[in-house]
Amino acid sequence: MIAKSLREFRRSLIWWTIGISAFMAMYLSIYPNISGNPDLYGAQALAKFPGALRDLMGGLQDMTSGLGYLQSVVYQLFVPMLFTVCAMLIANRAIAQPEEAGTLELVVTLPVDRRRLLLQRFAAFALGLLAVAVITLLVTWALAESVALGVGLDRLVAAHTGVYLVGLFFGSVTLAAGAASGRRAPSLALGGVWAVLGYVVVTVGQNVEAIAWLKWISPFHYYATGRPLYQGLPAGDYLVLAGAIAVLVLTAVLAFDRRDIGV
Amino acid sequence: MTAVVRAEGLTKYYGRRRGLEDLTLEIRPGEIFGYLGPNGAGKTTTIRLLLDVIRPTRGHVRVLGAGSREAAVRARIGYLPGELALEGRERAADYLAFLGRVRGGVPAARIEALAERLDADLSVPMRKLSKGNKQKIGLIQAFMHEPDLLILDEPTGGLDPLVQQEFLTMVREVRASGRTVLMSSHVLAEVEHVSDRVGIVRAGRLVAVENVAALREKAMRRVELHFDAPVPAEAFADLPGVRELRVEGAGLRCTIDGRPDALVKAAARFTVVHLVSEEPDLEEIFLTYYSDEGRDDDRQEPA
Repeated sequence: MIAKSLREFRRSLIWWTIGISAFMAMYLSIYPNISGNPDLYGAQALAKFPGALRDLMGGLQDMTSGLGYLQSVVYQLFVPMLFTVCAMLIANRAIAQPEEAGTLELVVTLPVDRRRLLLQRFAAFALGLLAVAVITLLVTWALAESVALGVGLDRLVAAHTGVYLVGLFFGSVTLAAGAASGRRAPSLALGGVWAVLGYVVVTVGQNVEAIAWLKWISPFHYYATGRPLYQGLPAGDYLVLAGAIAVLVLTAVLAFDRRDIGV
Repeated sequence: MTAVVRAEGLTKYYGRRRGLEDLTLEIRPGEIFGYLGPNGAGKTTTIRLLLDVIRPTRGHVRVLGAGSREAAVRARIGYLPGELALEGRERAADYLAFLGRVRGGVPAARIEALAERLDADLSVPMRKLSKGNKQKIGLIQAFMHEPDLLILDEPTGGLDPLVQQEFLTMVREVRASGRTVLMSSHVLAEVEHVSDRVGIVRAGRLVAVENVAALREKAMRRVELHFDAPVPAEAFADLPGVRELRVEGAGLRCTIDGRPDALVKAAARFTVVHLVSEEPDLEEIFLTYYSDEGRDDDRQEPA
């Protein structure tokens, strides 16, 4: 079942890997231009950006160093968002999409327990996303070496693990919503809204007292505050994410097990 | 012998909308059970309850001696959904192999043999298959693991007549090997020639379960007799079971309700040159169930 699910996901997994790698290649290949022009991209220049925009981009400190550049343009916003969208779309193909298409009907009448079926679909999704993460990590590392970014593999692994977990988290949100409702669009919307608001809360919202507390339910908080690229793997934060994912999957299992399919 | 399907008080509501009301039904081993009713009557609801795709609001059902929630028993069931969806770039052969593996293994030769019988091309990506060809793939996957119980929801939709014949042969083979078939249809003609019994469902209720042979015996049939000379109408008056009698010269037409014995004996006094007896039109009986019992049913329902 896992192998069969992975075959279903294969094409979109490949395209996402290509897309994210291309994104990395494009941004990392212009790094030499930026590090070579500190007047244009240095701290004083960046200070001219409006404050809110700077916050949204994670502060935009220090674009001319390898670490700062990588954090600002790659790991702050774009790559986590790409992973999140990729994860949500693939997670939706686990239950909600085949249910709407009608192909799930025959699958649930196979001699496989419902709970097991859902766990296998989740496992396929998690493995598929892991493959995307590993390949794009290797691409990033190769590119970082080629433009002499000066960031060690261990830090890249730390940041990429966080990206993977954030993706897995939002994928699990979508999967759980799909398992509970059987509907594609609302599941995607739930994950998407949570992702956008979650990101805004930990960036722009961190200075707004009324909403700052919401950071606790934003996965980006556990990804970004540890500053994995600067300080290495934040084990505690990542464990929180992993725990949240486990809770979501459990919710999905329970919801899927007690529901009518395809009505 | 224990029933293959035993439903008791099986009821399903979708919110406030009634899908099926209080179904009590037994399907016996080795029979072909035709499940009839117009679209939306509750046929598919029943079938999906048997397969645990949906859960009953009330009542319970046992299939092959197990509760419907027990997943393992579904390895012994072959299921053709009423609206079969096959998608994607995957070839039909790969999909069938996958389904076979999950059900505990199906020899590739058996899949090929079925494909040949139904004239199905397994090398085509499934999204490129026409409706009829998808239906063939659906039939192959339902039959291929030689299940003890076949549940076929509107199996003949989209099949051309030749393949339909082959399909009916396959169904008879299943019965011959002592296995059981439940097939639904909204057209009696599709199931009457293979079914041992038919259940008629209407507006969510099972209104009748009939033995097909008995149904046929009860049926009205039109009879035409031709004699070598004009016959007197009085000779055929007031015969039991004879209705709509019309005698015109040497010809006689009527409909017979039940046995033709009295008519035959009355006709034997004259010289019969020609006799035509139409096959009873079960469709007509079927419609009678709908119009009569159906209307009673509606009247009993609270508004």
